[in-house]
Amino acid sequence: MRVVIAEDNALLRDGVALLLGEHDIEVVAAVADADDLLRAVAAEKPDAAVVDVRMPPTHTDEGLRAALTIRSTWPEIAVLVFSQWVETSYARRLLSENTGRVGYLLKDRIVSTDDFVEAVQRVADGGTALDPEVVRQLLAGPSVDPGLSRLSSREREILGLLAEGRSNVAIAEALHLAERSVEKHVTAIFTKLDLPQARTDHRRVLAVLRYLRS
Amino acid sequence: MTVARAALAVSRAVLAVPRAWGDRRTWRELAFVLLGALVSLPTFALALLGLAAAALSVVIFGLALLVGVLAIARRTPRYFRHPARRLVGWDWPDPPPLTAPTRWRRAVAILGDPTAWRALTYCFLRFPLIYAGAYGALIAIFTGTLSLTYPAWWLIRPDAFGVESTSWPGAWWRALQGAALLLALPWVVRLIVLLDSLLVRALLWPTPAARRIAQLKAGRAALQEDAAALMRRVERDLHDGTQARLVSLGVALARIQHRSGEDQIRALAADARGTVTEALTELRDIVRGLHPPALDDGLEVALSTLAARSAVPATVTVDLPARPPDATASALYFAVAELLTNIARHAAATRATITVGEEGPWVTLTVTDDGRGGAVPGPTSLPGASSGVPLRGSSPSGALSSGALPSDASASGSAASGASGSGSAASGAWGAGSAAAGGAGGAGTGLSGLARRAAALDGALTVESPPGGPTTVTMKLPREPG
Repeated sequence: MRVVIAEDNALLRDGVALLLGEHDIEVVAAVADADDLLRAVAAEKPDAAVVDVRMPPTHTDEGLRAALTIRSTWPEIAVLVFSQWVETSYARRLLSENTGRVGYLLKDRIVSTDDFVEAVQRVADGGTALDPEVVRQLLAGPSVDPGLSRLSSREREILGLLAEGRSNVAIAEALHLAERSVEKHVTAIFTKLDLPQARTDHRRVLAVLRYLRS
Repeated sequence: MTVARAALAVSRAVLAVPRAWGDRRTWRELAFVLLGALVSLPTFALALLGLAAAALSVVIFGLALLVGVLAIARRTPRYFRHPARRLVGWDWPDPPPLTAPTRWRRAVAILGDPTAWRALTYCFLRFPLIYAGAYGALIAIFTGTLSLTYPAWWLIRPDAFGVESTSWPGAWWRALQGAALLLALPWVVRLIVLLDSLLVRALLWPTPAARRIAQLKAGRAALQEDAAALMRRVERDLHDGTQARLVSLGVALARIQHRSGEDQIRALAADARGTVTEALTELRDIVRGLHPPALDDGLEVALSTLAARSAVPATVTVDLPARPPDATASALYFAVAELLTNIARHAAATRATITVGEEGPWVTLTVTDDGRGGAVPGPTSLPGASSGVPLRGSSPSGALSSGALPSDASASGSAASGASGSGSAASGAWGAGSAAAGGAGGAGTGLSGLARRAAALDGALTVESPPGGPTTVTMKLPREPG
């Protein structure tokens, strides 16, 4: 797999590049700002871009805007955005226009290398990755969606893990449940959200989106 | 030599007298005095109206009239300043605005406002002075010119103007008198202008105390801006420096763990990595209390993030035409954080609404919840703050009031100790403030801390919380700092 890294801190940029290299992910370019990122992506057509939200010149959200540009210009290129702090509005912006190939992680998560590498891979494979902290905040928020308010607390918990991009197996592990009961809960969620019968993966994404947009 | 020098000085002085007419200053001052007669007419009428209103002020109509007169009088320093600036180059600062938050309070405040009363006095006193000056100047110009040219008139018609001194030397004597009058006029005008300037200094200039207040306010505004900028810089440094380094350290440890074949080293590295993760979490909580980075993206984004984190479902509406100053925005942010924490802890509410809007010169924040009410702020330790903090809470029925609010410093203290969650946002600047005041403030630290903070920004906090709810907390802050 080939990725491009955009991060203005040189130390971190090199660290992430080496880390990904050790996990058999080829880093084809490592750049320091959004303009260079767009140029590198255009030139290299990587599988995924790993992007810091806050970069020069204004140090606000140029990374996020670049990420949205990448997603709309090259739909086949996945984007994993990470930021210094949790910002649910960033997650909403990312996921409101994309049903897959996007991820939003807290920078701290890079330290948990296995999770981070897995998130990069998942996003490149067409999935989503959301930081648990983001999910926690989204869950704590008010739900205006009547379907969402019908969910039980267990189902909300599972929906949260779904939003992070986890598989049924991973959810079962995380909650110490049997895989079958997770499947039952997931089906219940789909029913309560009135999601149409279709390919399971697609419904998962739709459920997560409902939840993010509420 | 000295005699010659003295003679030179005298001749210079003598020459200066006619030269005054060639000086532009004289003409400007003359224009100032003559125009002043027109300018002072409406303000004198205002002063007389003020006298009448003061006499009538025993009846409510007179009082209302007096308020109106004073409100207009308060604007006269600017009215007088316009010609003064143009013609004689005087300048004085604007009077400080009345800071009372409501119309009614402003009306009450103006009755005791020295600026307004002094301006009204000036309106009254200036009229006779400037009229004497203008009248004298006109008469002097008219009779002076007439007298100066009297010999010519005498030649044409000796009995012109019915004056009896019909001799030829008498005519010249009259001409000399006219010349003296005209030569003296600039100095008389100058005297009038000088007296007017003394009046202006005494009555239109802000008093030394007022100037000091303005100075202190400017200083405070600068300090607030500095503090906000410092917080922001520290936040940047921590995020872009410390956090990035910690993450790099964590990545390095992860790589060691990944590459090492020795179990002991792997365990050690894993341990160290865990510590790094904890340090990062702590850092995040500290930074959130310093300067919420989301504020850089605007108040609405920041407040939405807060609301999303709230344990009680909350909706946010922000309607501001322009970005408020940093100090105001961060005060609003931390107020919302504190109020949401309070609501979650004590109100037993099912939903909360947060609205931020503009009302004249004020930015108003309203936070409403449908909880059980009965919230009463404790006494504020800031002297005089109570006048700016109208507290319309219900009767302080002990159980409710102490139960409805963080009753001691530990509430904010626990938030500061890094507990992540809705409470932790209130740590840092606010939390530290209320923790410090906790010992003195006792019950109601959260709300009284907010009231104190609002007062420090020249704002006010209103709490309406009848037992049984709903509770509405309104915070008003000036849109412009200082």
